[in-house]
Amino acid sequence: MAEKELLVVLAGQPNVGKSTVFNILTGLSQHVGNWPGKTVEKKEGYYVSGTTRIKIVDLPGSYSLTAYSEEEKIARDFIINERPDAIVLIANASAVERSLYLLAEFLLLKAPIIVALNMMDVAEQQGIRIDVSLLEKYLGIPVIPMVASKNQGIKELVSAIISLSDGKKEYMPSIADISEDHKDIFLELANILEIYISPPYLTRWTITKIMEGDPDITEKMKHIVSPDSWSKVQALLLQHEDSLLAVVRGRYDWVEGAVRSAISEFKRGQILFTDRLDHVLTRPVIGIPILLSVLALVFLLTYGLGLPLQQSLESLMNAFAAWIEAFLGPVPWLRGIIVDGLIGGVGTVLTFLPVLLFFFAAMAFLEDVGYMARAAFVMDRFMHLIGLHGKSFLPFCLGFGCNVPAIMGARIVESGRTRLFTILLTPFVPCTAKLAVVTLVAAAIFGKKALIISWALVAGNILILGFSGAIASRLIFKKQRMPFIMELPVYHKPNLRTIGIVTWKRIVAFLKKAGTIIIVFSVLLWLLSYLPGGDIESSFLGLIGRSIEPIGHPLGLDWKMIVALLASVTAKENSIAALGVLYGVGEEGLREILPSVMSHASALSFLVVLMLFVPCAATLVVMRQEMGGWRWFLSSFTFMLFLSYLSGMAVYKFALFVGI
Amino acid sequence: MGKDIISLILLKEGEEGIIHSVSGGLGLIGRLASMGITSGMRVKVLRNIGGPLIVTTNGTRIAIGRGQANKIVIRRLTAGRGKAEPV
Repeated sequence: MAEKELLVVLAGQPNVGKSTVFNILTGLSQHVGNWPGKTVEKKEGYYVSGTTRIKIVDLPGSYSLTAYSEEEKIARDFIINERPDAIVLIANASAVERSLYLLAEFLLLKAPIIVALNMMDVAEQQGIRIDVSLLEKYLGIPVIPMVASKNQGIKELVSAIISLSDGKKEYMPSIADISEDHKDIFLELANILEIYISPPYLTRWTITKIMEGDPDITEKMKHIVSPDSWSKVQALLLQHEDSLLAVVRGRYDWVEGAVRSAISEFKRGQILFTDRLDHVLTRPVIGIPILLSVLALVFLLTYGLGLPLQQSLESLMNAFAAWIEAFLGPVPWLRGIIVDGLIGGVGTVLTFLPVLLFFFAAMAFLEDVGYMARAAFVMDRFMHLIGLHGKSFLPFCLGFGCNVPAIMGARIVESGRTRLFTILLTPFVPCTAKLAVVTLVAAAIFGKKALIISWALVAGNILILGFSGAIASRLIFKKQRMPFIMELPVYHKPNLRTIGIVTWKRIVAFLKKAGTIIIVFSVLLWLLSYLPGGDIESSFLGLIGRSIEPIGHPLGLDWKMIVALLASVTAKENSIAALGVLYGVGEEGLREILPSVMSHASALSFLVVLMLFVPCAATLVVMRQEMGGWRWFLSSFTFMLFLSYLSGMAVYKFALFVGI
Repeated sequence: MGKDIISLILLKEGEEGIIHSVSGGLGLIGRLASMGITSGMRVKVLRNIGGPLIVTTNGTRIAIGRGQANKIVIRRLTAGRGKAEPV
């Protein structure tokens, strides 16, 4: 039994190896959820050392602690309110200045801090030498050198945490001051505001935040401070518009002191590997063709390796269904729910697992080595045309696998509006399931021309994504600034552990939805197609389909195709199963019968509607959750409904006109 | 050297400068500052051919949208391969 429990938080800027440290410390004990009421990921886990159980909370990565983003606000509120026993600030030894800047902010909060100086090996390669004991002396807090990717320094870090919490270690932090010329205004502000500041807030910290123009603290203070005093504060701040700079300058002076005392840099004779690669990859003329080839390679690998596996899984699933059918006996509804509903619905979805696994592993690899940041950079100019910026490129890429993790991936876009807009457009990225339906139907109907038709459909889909973005950004999001500031991490060797964890997380996101939402919808759909009479023609589903058949008329869709489209909301690939049932041939016979029941024009219209239609239930649920409200969700829902209808009609008429 | 105080986007690839000031909202100033882009810092432009720029400061590479980069004013350093502006 653990006798003592400690609360430790991990903090640090992006690209310092924070998640590597977290993963080593917590291993399988980690739990990933959301911060209450937020769409920001919360990761926590445990580390047990002797009789001490250390609860480790991974704070969202942030560059500073000013409440400009949700992540930053969460990080600092947690420290202020939960008072952890220790904060471990992970710093990047090869770019110490910036990490120390964040440290200066943390030190103001008066919480016990340990600096974990990670990536010492990278620093050494770059000719940066850090005297750890001198740095410790300057900062007045423990500094632990580490190479987390090689598991070095973790033990030392843990013992530092324990001795710090025991009060055994000397702890005399030096704190960054505001630059000399602004000390007077700081004191004046402190004079006015001191009486209003109460725990857990600290005077020095609060005044500094007011000088920085922190929106959250300013708002809070405005409500407690008497109007008279507040107008004095306002006047002072107006007089000293450069207060923020004074704070920043003070911090960097302090950082420079640390650097001067402990770090020596030697001239690097050779151009860094990263610079050499970037010279090629970030030049649009070369970078974009390379990006396209890389993505083509990813798809080739994914489908080359994944599709055969998918097909064998599919026959396995069919064999399983046949085997289980024998046990279910003569009760038709039980057979229906289990074989047609569950196995037919969820089973089909699960056969996509290998394809997704290869795809997400490839994407995680590209992210881990640092390539995706470059992809975002070269794509930025195109993303601007549709009202987004480079960072939205990654979620879009993930969308080609499955829209569910893609929408969750939109979290990397910081600004709320841009993130919302990214989520809004993600369903227009054709996922593996949609592509599977397109491939099957096109192959059955268009024979030799199938490949061209499929490509045209995908290209048209992406064009529509572009147009929707361009139009919506001008109509709804006009005047919205989209600041694009992104760090380009140094390229490094792939870390299999990180790639594995990222891939696993995305697969689990997909599996969770398949296991819950898709199960419910598949069974529901089956019930609708079975009740009340036991056959689909006279079922509720058939009734619905027939009653709305007139709507499908201008699109060349009969009621069976409409029902198949409705079924696609459970999961896109289920529209195939639905067609099979409706035409009474099963999935295997579908290829033979399709040409006789669908004209070319109808098939085109069917596929266009399918691609632009309301996304699958799993995606809808995640969209609603990540959009944080109904308004946007319902507008995007309606928008997709109309867009798919109009596009389907246009394609149908066009196809008839040119006689395809 | 007043004429050498220019917007960051006027720097050519390979040229360096010392940041003079950053204008814009406190949010932008604060965010850039936390990444090491603030008055007095030395930056080098790695990429500037339309679209976003890539600059490096203190060993970090940062991509900055053109609009934001335009708000960063620097004092150009004459070293590097860039030619000095005539007058």
